[in-house]
Amino acid sequence: MKRRLWFSLIATVVAVIAALAGNIATSNAPILGLDLQGGLSVILAPEEGATGDDLLVVRDLVRSSLERSGVAEPDVRVQGSNIVVDLPGVKDKEEALRSVSVSGIVELRAVVNFTECSASIPAVSTDETIADGRVLGSDGTITVDGDPADEVTPPVDEESIGFLNDEAKTSFRRSAPDPDADPDAPADTEAPADSDPVGDAPIDLAPTPTPTIAGAEFLPTLDGGALCAGPSQASGEVFERDSASVQLGQFGQFSVSVDLRADGEDAWNGLATQCFNRLASCPSTGVDTDGSGRPGQIAIVLDGIVQSAPVVNVPVFDGSVSITGSFTQEEADQLSDVLNRGAFPVQVTPQETRTVSASAGGDSLRAAIIAGLIGLALVLAFLVAYYRWLALVIIGGLTVWAMAVYSAAAFVSGATNYALSLAGVTGIIVAIGVTVDSYVVFFERMKDEIRNGRTLRNAAPRSFNSTWRTIWSADLVSIIGALILFSLSVGSVRGFALYLGITTMCDLFVCFFFTRPAVLLIARSKFMVGKRAFGLEVASS
Amino acid sequence: MSRGNQIASSGLGRLFRGQTAVDFYGRRRIGFVIAIVVLLATVGSLFTRGLDLGLDFEGGDAWDIPASEIFGVDEAKAVLEDNGVSTNGARIQRRSSDTTDLITVQIEEVPQDNAVQITNAFAEAAGVETDDVNFSFTSSTWGGEITDKAVRALIIFLIVVSIFISIRFEWRMALAALAAMAHDVLVVVGAYSLFGFEVTPGTVIAFLTILGYSLYDTIVVFDRVRENEGKYAGVRMPYEDIVNISMNQVLMRSINTSISSIIPVISLLLIGSGLLGAVTLREFGLALLIGMISGIYSSIFVATPLLAGLKSNVGRKARRERLTGDNLRAAVIGSGVTGRVGATVGSADGESNAKGASHDDDVKTAAVLEPAGRLLTHPPRPRKKKRR
Repeated sequence: MKRRLWFSLIATVVAVIAALAGNIATSNAPILGLDLQGGLSVILAPEEGATGDDLLVVRDLVRSSLERSGVAEPDVRVQGSNIVVDLPGVKDKEEALRSVSVSGIVELRAVVNFTECSASIPAVSTDETIADGRVLGSDGTITVDGDPADEVTPPVDEESIGFLNDEAKTSFRRSAPDPDADPDAPADTEAPADSDPVGDAPIDLAPTPTPTIAGAEFLPTLDGGALCAGPSQASGEVFERDSASVQLGQFGQFSVSVDLRADGEDAWNGLATQCFNRLASCPSTGVDTDGSGRPGQIAIVLDGIVQSAPVVNVPVFDGSVSITGSFTQEEADQLSDVLNRGAFPVQVTPQETRTVSASAGGDSLRAAIIAGLIGLALVLAFLVAYYRWLALVIIGGLTVWAMAVYSAAAFVSGATNYALSLAGVTGIIVAIGVTVDSYVVFFERMKDEIRNGRTLRNAAPRSFNSTWRTIWSADLVSIIGALILFSLSVGSVRGFALYLGITTMCDLFVCFFFTRPAVLLIARSKFMVGKRAFGLEVASS
Repeated sequence: MSRGNQIASSGLGRLFRGQTAVDFYGRRRIGFVIAIVVLLATVGSLFTRGLDLGLDFEGGDAWDIPASEIFGVDEAKAVLEDNGVSTNGARIQRRSSDTTDLITVQIEEVPQDNAVQITNAFAEAAGVETDDVNFSFTSSTWGGEITDKAVRALIIFLIVVSIFISIRFEWRMALAALAAMAHDVLVVVGAYSLFGFEVTPGTVIAFLTILGYSLYDTIVVFDRVRENEGKYAGVRMPYEDIVNISMNQVLMRSINTSISSIIPVISLLLIGSGLLGAVTLREFGLALLIGMISGIYSSIFVATPLLAGLKSNVGRKARRERLTGDNLRAAVIGSGVTGRVGATVGSADGESNAKGASHDDDVKTAAVLEPAGRLLTHPPRPRKKKRR
């Protein structure tokens, strides 16, 4: 019996110290949360009906999008039905935020005549001087109608047998005034939520009362203009994931090429053929240099904004698509990003965005640690004053407990990416009280037994048995709570539940494998004889 | 026999030696009245003042900007107006402590590009780096989702815990424990409503911590009740007596645990938020402090008397009045050794009443210890199984 107690005591201490040393040697520390070291955190939620696989795809896309913007090893994970992006300590928050947050589905829509657009969505800006700094392209840099230089540019990609010409949206828009314009057309209907917020200028293009293509609507373009786009015919999923790239042509112009997926080629070519043949669903929208009707355009739409509307110059594409036009490098990069992102299988929207400055995070961490240590010191002082010599067991037990919690936290946060947040730290501070309680229950029980005439040697095992029952009942409630909260809740509550579970498990572990052998061995030895504990003097047994 | 067996003359001494004989059950009405007053205050405050739900529950954008002489509430307002945001629904506060001084701005949801612009504008106006401005955005649906999920998790947790307590103890204890827990959470919610603190996700975590702590504390007390129930099963001890005895026996443990739990929280509150100026810690610490005090109070003055009330009409009718004074004290001390003390106290009634007039410690001790001492002359018998 005695040997087993010694074994349990020594094995526990050695195991915990080894775990701690291992963690320190491999510099495996608990990951600190955003609120403790500053950084950026975004939670993205998909639309209804996203499957687990969709989420995984989105996660990988967000991750690669972040890596492209220069964030090393971004922490992007699926949590429940959401995607959580945590970038503690990230330097350029604005850039990172941009790469995370524009994350809708790319739609491919045919550009149709303005007359097709329904009167219900007329709030389109005709103001060229958009003041809010959102104009990302400008008219001068995009190919104007029928620029011969672009028409003859060969595709840079060898495999590409067709290429598209980026159309100038603004000039096109002006070239198609509606002769049947109704001067009384309502211009005061509400703008759709995603349309340009400054679109309050009166519309100069009144739609016909009888649109013939269902689903056609005005969409703002990047330069502040608008296009009338037909219904969505394909999504960005026709493109191979992460295949879009920017090439520099021999005349110094940039082009963007992207590969088609085997199962997406038909959808893309179906649309391209309509446009090339100038069908009613994708009519000619301009005049070529030779005076004939130019092929139709395909609008590449992201989040309700037309990113590019190239003219289709080939009816059938084989394997890859190249888009040319007089892009600046920045515009080409942006289009290529959009095409890569186009592989999002579901629409996701940011639900929560949080940035914390590094200095504020560090302050919170320091405050919590100092407050925790001072609190712990005061608790120990109180316990030493009250339990005298037996408090040695509490000090040893709390040390083992603290080392075990640290190792477990380092291991779990390394394995699952759950960061230790401010809520977790305060949870641990509260756990000090609950952990100390197991000693208090034990010792108070022993005190009762001794006062009633039992010897210490006799009282210790009896007290432990009843105490152990009490403690596991009470701790089991905490563990149940931690498990349920962890599996069902989101965000910071989850982190809290994790650390509640860890501290409670460590409490149970230390209580059985450290406190029990330590107290039983002390009770058997002559150590306590004649010493004061519990306010009584312990008599020899 | 050591000095520790003497009945101490002062209340504190008796407390220290576990010799208290407080008639908790007899005073249960005081506890209930206080609990009801607190509940009414909470409900009243919730109806009249409501809860100040933070950004995370209502959705919107928020910034924390370091305040300075050149940047205060008015300047923040000006920045918002320059960016075309109405300041009507905006909430702009200055939160300062000894070492930090922040302007907190909360507005309704704006498009992300605008939010980035406003962040830069704030940084410029306050003369700090953009990185020093904390920004957070929460969509309104998300806030609702967090709350819904937390509430759902909570309901499932409560059901599972009720089942656990019903199996481990009994359903009446589950009911009493949940009542005490509800009391504690209501106290904290009431405090938040009365003082107008903002409810944040941190607060929700504080509520959860309080909930867990309250249940933990109650279960420790109930475990002793359960144990004594088994001990006195054979002697027809009224349930009120069992509750009183158990409460007095765990009183010192409750006090010690309370002190050990509350010291770190006070340290968090005073040192963390006061001296070191971590504003986020302040409200968190305050919620925990109020909740823990309430949790300790409720397991003694709400949960256990309620349990006794629920149990008092169950089973056989008690043969006698419940124990008070020195009889109770004898039972509190003696039951540590054997369950038979309760049976002998009845016969000791006259004896201890006769000597009750004297306040001499030794006489008292002798009276109280007599039955216990007699039993200790032979080794304790193996405990009998619970029998009904």
